[in-house]
Amino acid sequence: MDFIIAKYNYWIYIILMMIGLYGMIAKNNLAKKVVGMTLFQTSIILFFISTSVKSGGATVPIVMGDPHLHGHVIPGTVHAIQYLNPLPHVLMLTAIVVMVATFGIAVALLMRIYKRYGTLEGDEIVEIRKQETAS
Amino acid sequence: MRQFLGFLVTMVTAALLIYSTPEMPGWGDPNSPASTHVSPRYIEKADEETHTPNIVTAVLADYRGYDTMGETMVVFVAGIGCIMLLRRRQHK
Repeated sequence: MDFIIAKYNYWIYIILMMIGLYGMIAKNNLAKKVVGMTLFQTSIILFFISTSVKSGGATVPIVMGDPHLHGHVIPGTVHAIQYLNPLPHVLMLTAIVVMVATFGIAVALLMRIYKRYGTLEGDEIVEIRKQETAS
Repeated sequence: MRQFLGFLVTMVTAALLIYSTPEMPGWGDPNSPASTHVSPRYIEKADEETHTPNIVTAVLADYRGYDTMGETMVVFVAGIGCIMLLRRRQHK
């Protein structure tokens, strides 16, 4: 039971990630592939954020300052056990920006493909391309 | 056929990942490798070195300022790409 409570968060990310991977591989519609990619990236972000959690009274990584020192603290009085790990938060901020950029490019490409072929189904696009090269 | 192949690949990957979970640190473990190796240095010195109470901001904009500059470059290139893909062609 302790084992399940300590580890079940990883299984949630694995399930989410596999839904995304299956969508990217098996779906024929290109828009659904993009949705799968976004799910995959979201599960990775959740996984990294979960590594920053520390039990035992740790709080968000904002240093609680001393009001007599204009909100700053005496050097050496901040201990790592008091605050959550800030590095996963920073790196996932960067990852979210990259995710939005890739999503934007993907949607723009989908719009171009739809204008050109009138469909987003992968096999139909292949058929149209075959007919165009034959004629 | 492709559905079956995708399902097979997905299940094999999921089995490998679940097989590896007992090696991972437990939920909220303060002694996990991620919380003991690099981050204590940032938590303890961020306010002293950057005078920013928010450690996430201090790391993002001060310690990793070049990384954030590259990140703005990524957004810029993505915006340029979207404009080039979506603008109306004049000569058609």
